[in-house]
Amino acid sequence: MKLEPKQIAEFKSERQISAARFNADGAVLAAVGYEPTVRLWAFDGKNLTPLPSLTGFHGYSTALAFHPQQPRLFAADSWGQLACFEGEKAVWRHETAHDGWLRQIAISADGSRVATCGKDGFIRVWNAADGKKLAEHQAGEDVYALTMTDSITFGDIRGRVESWNADLKKKTRSFDGSPLYKLDRIQDLGGLRVLLFIDGGRTLLAAGTTPQNGATPQSIPTILFFDVASGKLTKTVTHVSNKEGYVHDLVQHRSGCLMAVSSGTPGSGQLFLLDPAEKQAFHDNKKMANCHALALHPDGKHFVVTSTNRDSNGNGKSLAKDGSYKTNTSPLHVFEV
Amino acid sequence: MSHMLCTPRDHAFSRRAFLGGGLSLLASPVLAEAMRQRDKQVLFVWLDGGLSQLESWDPKPNTEFGGPFRSIPTSVPGIHFGELMPKLAKQAHKLCVVRSMCTKDNAHSSGVDRIQRGDPKNRGVPYPHFGAGVAKLLGPGASGLPPYVWIKPGSGGFKAEDAGFLGPKYGSLAFGDGKPPDNLLRHPDISAEQDTARNELRAMLDKRFAAKREKRVVEANASVFDMAEKLMARADIFDTSKLPERDRERYGRHDFGQHMLVARQMLEAGVRFVKVTSYGWDTHGDHFNAQSTMIPKFDQAFSAMLEDLEASGLLKTTLVICLSEFGRTPRINGHVGRDHWPEAWSIAMAGHGVKHGAVIGETNDKGTEVKSQPHDIGAAFHTWYQALGIDSHHVEFDNAGQPLPIAHDEMMAIKEALA
Repeated sequence: MKLEPKQIAEFKSERQISAARFNADGAVLAAVGYEPTVRLWAFDGKNLTPLPSLTGFHGYSTALAFHPQQPRLFAADSWGQLACFEGEKAVWRHETAHDGWLRQIAISADGSRVATCGKDGFIRVWNAADGKKLAEHQAGEDVYALTMTDSITFGDIRGRVESWNADLKKKTRSFDGSPLYKLDRIQDLGGLRVLLFIDGGRTLLAAGTTPQNGATPQSIPTILFFDVASGKLTKTVTHVSNKEGYVHDLVQHRSGCLMAVSSGTPGSGQLFLLDPAEKQAFHDNKKMANCHALALHPDGKHFVVTSTNRDSNGNGKSLAKDGSYKTNTSPLHVFEV
Repeated sequence: MSHMLCTPRDHAFSRRAFLGGGLSLLASPVLAEAMRQRDKQVLFVWLDGGLSQLESWDPKPNTEFGGPFRSIPTSVPGIHFGELMPKLAKQAHKLCVVRSMCTKDNAHSSGVDRIQRGDPKNRGVPYPHFGAGVAKLLGPGASGLPPYVWIKPGSGGFKAEDAGFLGPKYGSLAFGDGKPPDNLLRHPDISAEQDTARNELRAMLDKRFAAKREKRVVEANASVFDMAEKLMARADIFDTSKLPERDRERYGRHDFGQHMLVARQMLEAGVRFVKVTSYGWDTHGDHFNAQSTMIPKFDQAFSAMLEDLEASGLLKTTLVICLSEFGRTPRINGHVGRDHWPEAWSIAMAGHGVKHGAVIGETNDKGTEVKSQPHDIGAAFHTWYQALGIDSHHVEFDNAGQPLPIAHDEMMAIKEALA
């Protein structure tokens, strides 16, 4: 089934958003971004109504995951904190779950374990109920992304993608995601942003970008398809051109189609939908600038894309009409499918 | 203000004069002063594109524009740097950081030139880069090596345009990837006698060439051969392969680290002014990930250099400067980048003539404005010249008889930064 999404509403956010997810029943949308708080909204099928934010974070709030059954939210920050909330109350909190930037959180299907990865090169596994550390693995360099099945599959800045079994404490598989890495002068360009299993775990997707140059990177949104059994790269999907940048978020709709958002340089990013059996997107939406997050509602009929306000870039001191120097923001676009 | 006109020739002190004059001349106060000046050197580290002040020298953690990183304490109580510079944080007591730079140009194309030339008042002629000015005013020093060298990624060559109105002789000699010029050494098939004979022939032809040409062109032409001769005798300064493995690791295997190691050898050999450029700092996209891989490499090489200059005693006589053409915007754009920001940014200095363990100036809580006295690049030029013992308000360049100030004549040195 090829979806045709239609935007039904747009809401303002005061700050920029880098990741967003709905909770298990779809009543709450949570978002992290360029501030030390987690923003929450109540969702009624069309409208997003702000709820009190979750605080106590530092730097940027960077990652989040809802428990698949319970009303629990796990969120992290760029100073290494990991916290578990029920409502506005922190059930447990580790100020230094990682040394510095905690990149991503994944939760097991049964909700019993939470896995995290960070700039410190570690993968850590936590008991979701009480926050006790269950296992850790020194994965190497800055670990950008992870996902969790019976193993934890993670990928680092150099595109090294591996599966690690936390119970057996051993590596179970490896995948070559090096097309998502490039060294340019003294900049290591890590293009990986998302790891996602599809086809009941038979296919692993590594999404992000194929870096071409550093500093002001021009690069093409890329999704690598790996056969999990053999570890082999079976397909590479690139989207549009090297102006469209990074796939920042990638989810699979219950229909099977893949939904991705990107931000670009000098392009301005897109929402695009892709049949995993094909190599080209069947739908793209260029109306939103520099999209960073896509939250799929559990009803499968709605999703939210966070973009960036137009004219977000500019050298020097561009001031708002009132003379103030303002931050950029992330409009939230509600779609219906 | 009274200007005591003083041409660069007044400061000249040739190697020949030194060698021919004998030790008795050292008793002369003038020559003693000249000798003192001869010892001064400059290391000028240029992070091309614009280092982010917020991820380095002037962190604003946990604020609206502060970014994701933490700050860390330094060896100077109360002073913090960005967490990506742990090695430099331990050497903050050697550094003098100016957090109050406020310059005028937010474009690379014009900004690089304006900053490297000190952005003086428009006199209708191109001003020299700081390195060219130092080469002119202090000369090549006792080593006789080219006074202004530039170690950079990519290609090399002689960059006459860096000298502006001073004339091509004072341009930079760029060593691409820190390597010597091609065919630096005499070809093995040419004997020393043949080489001497060729040079005599060249000298004779040079005289004919000189008769019909402008003096500065002739000087530049002759200086290239002098430079080549001096470099041929010191080809070893390009070779880091004989250095202990530990040194190469300490500076980092990346090109910036290895270029800094070559720069150290050049300073040790007595080169007056060494510029090292690192490209790729113009992070309009994926800025934070870029910073997290680039700044640690800068931290590694720059801190290793400071350690070594101190250990060898050269930090006492070498002015170390690190800057870009501007800083980066507090605001984060939709590509997760920071754009160009000349409004409030930082430079770092160390070594001869500047205070150690000092932070000068202050930006506001968000990093969007300089809160203290703002300083334009002209003030930095006055500071650097004065740190080198050159009276920047009285010494002037001689542009074919036209006296021109060596730094913006309406600006003053950042006095708090001077030792």
